[in-house]
Parts: sequence; C-alpha cells; structure tokens
Amino acid sequence: MQYVLNGAIADVPSEWHDESLLFVLREYHGLVGAKFGCGVGICGACTVIVDGMATRSCQVQTAELTPTTQVLTIEGLEVNGKLHPVQEAWLAHAVPQCGYCQSGQIMSAVALLADGDRADATASSDAILSAMNDNLCRCGTYQRIRDAVRDLIEAG
Amino acid sequence: MKRRSFLIGSLGTLVAFIGTGATIYGALPVIPKRPMPGTDDALGWIAHQEGRFLLTLPRIEMGQNIATALKQIACTELEVAWDKVDVAFHDSDLARVRSTVGSESIMLFAEPLAQACASLRDALRRGVRQGLVSAEPRAKEQLKTFARHGKIGRTAEIVQGREIVTGKALYASDIRRPGMLFGRVLRAPALAEYASKPLSWNAEAARAIPGFVAIVKDCGPDIGNAKGLGIIAERPGVLDRVVEVLNVVWQTEEPTTEFSSDAPVDVDRRPLEEMPSNVVLNGRPEPGPWNVDLKLSIPFAAHGAIEPRAAVAEWMHGKLTVWAGTQDVFFIRDCLADAFSVAVEAVRVQSCRVGGSFGGKTICTVEAEAATLSRAAGAPVKVQWTRAQELASAFHRPPSSHRVRARIADGQVSDWDHRQVSSHILFTSAVVPNLMQQATDAFIGDGGVARGMAVPYVFPRARAAYDLVRLPVHTGPWRGLGAGPNGLVIESAIDEAALAAGADPLAFRLAHINDSRLAAVVEAVGEMSAWETWKRPENEIKVGRGIACGIYKEVSYAAVVAEVEVAPDGRTRVREFWCAHDCGLVINPDQVKAQCEGNLMWSVGFVLHDHLPMERSRIVAETFVDAPIPRMEDTPRMNVELIESAKPPAGAGETVMACGPGAIANAIRAATGIRPTRFPVRTA
Repeated sequence: MQYVLNGAIADVPSEWHDESLLFVLREYHGLVGAKFGCGVGICGACTVIVDGMATRSCQVQTAELTPTTQVLTIEGLEVNGKLHPVQEAWLAHAVPQCGYCQSGQIMSAVALLADGDRADATASSDAILSAMNDNLCRCGTYQRIRDAVRDLIEAG
Repeated sequence: MKRRSFLIGSLGTLVAFIGTGATIYGALPVIPKRPMPGTDDALGWIAHQEGRFLLTLPRIEMGQNIATALKQIACTELEVAWDKVDVAFHDSDLARVRSTVGSESIMLFAEPLAQACASLRDALRRGVRQGLVSAEPRAKEQLKTFARHGKIGRTAEIVQGREIVTGKALYASDIRRPGMLFGRVLRAPALAEYASKPLSWNAEAARAIPGFVAIVKDCGPDIGNAKGLGIIAERPGVLDRVVEVLNVVWQTEEPTTEFSSDAPVDVDRRPLEEMPSNVVLNGRPEPGPWNVDLKLSIPFAAHGAIEPRAAVAEWMHGKLTVWAGTQDVFFIRDCLADAFSVAVEAVRVQSCRVGGSFGGKTICTVEAEAATLSRAAGAPVKVQWTRAQELASAFHRPPSSHRVRARIADGQVSDWDHRQVSSHILFTSAVVPNLMQQATDAFIGDGGVARGMAVPYVFPRARAAYDLVRLPVHTGPWRGLGAGPNGLVIESAIDEAALAAGADPLAFRLAHINDSRLAAVVEAVGEMSAWETWKRPENEIKVGRGIACGIYKEVSYAAVVAEVEVAPDGRTRVREFWCAHDCGLVINPDQVKAQCEGNLMWSVGFVLHDHLPMERSRIVAETFVDAPIPRMEDTPRMNVELIESAKPPAGAGETVMACGPGAIANAIRAATGIRPTRFPVRTA
C-alpha cells in the first residue's frame, strides 16, 4: 500500500498494515519525531497532520491510509534548511524543557495556523485553547506555548 | 488446583534456571553511590581537538536544560564562541558521577567544570596540543563563571532546541538497532508488594499471531514481588495483539485486607501523647489549647512524565549495551551487572535525553526487562512501558497525613507541633527490602519525608516529627520530595495562624522570619503582586489571593502569590501567579524562570489534580484521564522574577514546590472561607 508522507510517495509492506501509523512512522520509516505517550489518543505526543487535520497517529490504522492520504510529520516542516515559523517561534520562546511532547504540540499549532478560519478568529485565546488543550505537557511549558502561538497568530 | 499450579510454577523456574543460567535476583539491593564531583573528574568532561571542543555532560538532560547552562560555563571559561563547543550525553564508561537528582547540577558541578575548562584554556594558550591536561585549580573568584563574565547570567540558545523542534532529538525509545525486536514484560494486576507470578498462558494462540517471536519465562529481576512473563515480537503493535490472546492466569498473594487509595495513612492512629519516631525539630510545645489545629491529607500521585520509560538492550559477545532514559546510568549499570552476574566492565549504559523524569526514573526496571528479553532473543530488544504499566508498576509519590497545631501569644506563634505519617521516599520500598527498611527506619529515618518539615520561621517552641509506614504500593522520590507536602502543610497552618492573630499573612510571615534572603523574596513577591493595595473584586465569582514562601534544601528561596477564582459551581482556577526566586548566582535566567514556571504548574496539579486511584488492592488508573495532569486550560499567567546575586549557585528545579501549593490553598481559603485539607481539592 501507498500514501503520501511529507510530500513523497511512501510504500508500506503488508506486514506493517496492522500497525498504527505512529509505529509505522517511527519503526518502519525511522521518523521518530512523533512520540508514544499514552497509546489511546489522550496525550497528543503522537500528533501528526493527516489531510490538514491534527491527528493522533497512535489511533490511525495504517491499512486505512490511501494513495492520496497526505501525512505531514514534524520532519516534513523544514524546507531547504529553513524552519517553519512555528518551529522558529518555539525556539524564540525557548519553549522546550524535556521536549518529548513538543513534536505533538508543534504539529497541533501548525494545523491551527494553517486553518485560516480558526487562526483569524478575533478570540485567538479560545482558538488556541481549543487547538492546544488536548496536548499534554508535564514539564509545564504551556505558558510559553500559548505565547508562541499567540505571537504567530498576531503576526498573521 | 492450587497445588498443581504451584508445581508448574516451580518447574518453570527450574527450567529457566538451567536454561539461561539466571541468578537469584535481588538478594541484596545495589545501593546507588553519590560521589562529590571534583576538578580531576571534570577534566574528563571537556576535550579539545583541532579548534573544536567536546563537552561530555556529567549530568542527565531531562528538561532542566542543564546542557545549556553547562555549555554556557564551558564557553565562558574556554573563551570560545557558542558554536565551537559540541555537547554529548555521557555513558557509564565516564568516571562515575552521582545521579541527577535534587537540583544539584549547578550547585555541585559548575565549579569543577569551570576549573577544568579554565585549566584546558590555559594549557592551550601555552601551546599544549596533545595529551592529558592537569588540573590547575584557582580561587573561585578568579573563574569567569563566578565573576559573571562571558555567557553567565544571559539567555542562550537551548542545546538541542533545534533538534527538538525538528523531531531529531533522540530519547531511549527512538533508538533503532539492526535486527531489533520489541518486547514487553507482563505482570499481575496487583500491588508491587504482593507476591505474584504467571501460572499459565495460551502460547498456542500467541504463536498464531503474525509477528510473534517468543514468550520468555525468566524475566529478570522482579518488580517489587511481581514476577513477569515476557513477550517478544517483530513489530511493536504485535505486542498488544499477543496480550489480547495470551490469557495469562496469575497467582497473586491475597492481601489480608483490601487496600485502597482512600486514606491509606492516618496521622491520628498514633495517640497525640506519643511522639512520632523520627524527630526533625525537637522543641517542646507547652500544654494547652491550640489556636490552629489542622489535619491535612495528601494522596498518592504518579509522576506523569509524558515519556513512558524505555530502554533498548543489545548483547554482543557477552557484553551488554543499554540505551536508557534514566537519571543515573551508573546505578543502572551496577544493577544490570548484578542481575546478570557479569562484571561492570561488560555493561555499558548510554544516557539518552529523558522525556520527563521528576524523580521517577531513578531505579532499574525497564532496562533489566530489555536486557533479559534481548538475551533470550539473541537480538537487540526495545521495551517501552505502556501508560498503564507506568501507573501500575512504577513507584509513586507517597500519601501523607499531617496534623499541625499552632498557638498564638501576643500576636506571634509561640508553639508549633507538626506530626506526619508517610510511606518512604529516599529509602524507597521499590529498592529497599522490608527488613533493611526497618533498620533504616530505626536508625536514619527518611530524609525525603523529612525534607522541608523544619519550618523556615522562628517559633519559640517548635516540634516536627514523623512516622514511616511501608505500604503495599511502592513510593519514592517525586519532584521536591517532602518539600511539596510539608510546605503545603506549614504554609496552610501559618496562614491560619495569621488569620487567628488578625494579621496580614505577608506581614505575619515577615514577623517570624530572620533569614534575610527569605524575607527578600517575600517582600519582592508582595511588590510584584501589589499585595497591599489589591482589593478583592465584588462579583458572583469568588476571588482570593494567597501567599506562601519556603526554603529548599537550606540553599534556595522562593515566595509565591496565587490569585484564584472559584465559580458558583465550585470550579476552581488559578488566574495568576507571581513568584520571586533566589538561587544565588544564576547561569541562565530564562531557564531558571522556566523551572519556576514548571514548578508553578506542578503546584496547580498538586492542589487541583494529582491523585492515583486504587481499589481492591490494585492501581485502577490506566490513562491520563484516571491520573490527570494540568492542561493549558489550567495555566494562569505566571510572573517570575529572580533575585540574582554572587552568592553560591543553588538549585532551581524544585524550590517553588515548597511554596506554590501553599499559595494556591491559601488563595482558595481567602476566596471561599474554607480551608482545603484534602487534596486534590474537588473543584466541581
């Protein structure tokens, strides 16, 4: 089977079809940015973007992917050595502590900002909260995440 | 039936013993060693080659961004640009350094590293280009670090920041080896203290699952008294499918009484006339009525790191390599050498970036599981615990029960009595067997439980004492150890004492403080929050402010003001924090602030969220829903200010745990008139 991974066609051999997208990304493709945190879609550490939507990759069965399914992972954000604005904002705000949840946090933020309707909302606090509230961080970096996303929305 | 099961169990063990040469695990615990770092050790942390430097971190990086601070020290002493120094994580072949615990990294490692880098810089200037450099220790004030030159006291690019935001930073679970398999060790759904073992399982059904590799009966050291049953698969998802069909029947020791997380310890079981066994403050309160008499209950709590513990193990030619996310690779190495009866030289443990630890990744568990399964499989094996395993098989924050009493005379506290019962922290039951623990209880107590129990105030007659109990659930270090619970208790009681005396809580604290650094953070947080002039808003939502302060490990200081709102339906939210923090010399102010922010969020969790439900003698929490942690919606605006000075650098990783929870509890009291005594506070 095939799907589109970070803009390129990716093949997955049959023995991996029963695995979650998270494990296919991590252990078959070797893209380890998305993390295993809870395995039941609660913590958000495995968040990637599937067809434009922030998605828990631990809850996606690989067999459900199609040749037109677009999967974007954190490894696909950087273009020609240039970081995505969300990645830049994360560095500018010195967000990461342990960093384990941050790939998922960043992908949720990227999905929010790519969604014009939500990102332009005048009530940006509500938009940020609804997009980010289900990405858990035990180190307590939420204030910096919130500030980073707010800066990005305000910068348009 | 039971007899037959027993025989099968014995036979299984015997076969495993002959088949794999397994030792009898855990006869005596391996004790962690805690050497003080010196300049000679530090020479092994820094190396030079052709204009570039390699800093091998003597600390574990688990989110405190210690790598950044140590690199700032190295660049400052070497007088080189940021990009000239590469940073590497250490393995157990480095000369032993103590575990990364207790907010000690800058306090103990800044000077040796600075001395070593200064010695290397001078040697390079003399033209030395090869060989080993000798330490040339100099007076501390001659070091650029302690004179606050160079990159000291400034913001710096976070080491591995770019790797983290691009998904390239490697944690233990990210390690991939050629031919690697995936493993899990199943254990009975029982508390760690109860003996349990697998009796039977459906191996045939497991073999029918594509990708299944093996079942392993001898699964390395027990966790507590739980013997495991190992499974190995070609792909990680196969493990879940094998578990579904394996249908393991467990033999579990029946507890005499059912254990639950509802009031597991009770300070009032010992009569008030008796003194608890371990004395922290030995003042003698006078008899008579008390103005303040509070009983506070603090529950079990999980660490809640987002990274479930993980390890990759690989045996090759009788030597073992393990990639681990642990706070102490040397202790893990020693435990593995002991468990597998090999020399320590035959074991190498590589530290990886740790995805949150908070005191919880300090003992050997998943590393031994991976090593056992790897040896059985003859291939590298990765083991990462499930979230349910993290909650069921790890040790946790102990529950504690406190009674604290205060008497007021002439507007001041004259007598103070704080009694506590808790399970163990430093002498954790997860490592220390019952008999040995009875000895440590009798002769040493538990410094983790005692931490922060000595009041930071001057009271004429102050007594503080505690009892230890071994519980069927294993408890151990958790961010701040006793400082969180004890700080909450002390700061709740002095707040009530201020109310009873009719005094302002901030001024009342200052009247009992004779430590100028503690007074300074209290005064600073009062100014930051405009404590004196703030007026409670008049509307249907109840709003209140609370203050608390504390000293951590006698070296670092913090004070916090919390503003809390309580909605008519009881929903409680912290709206804003102000925090003043003094840990002496600051290497990286922004990251010290980040640690304060983290501790403030932990304080929110401490008061409003943290608990770990147990019923019918087992931990019933399996997810972050059952054992919740704070979310973005729980995040107030946090204002942190540092009091920087040339005083010796102290810790910042836990200090605010001594006062953050108390500030929130006192704010709830101010908003509602009700003193929180049972935690977490039920908010709706």
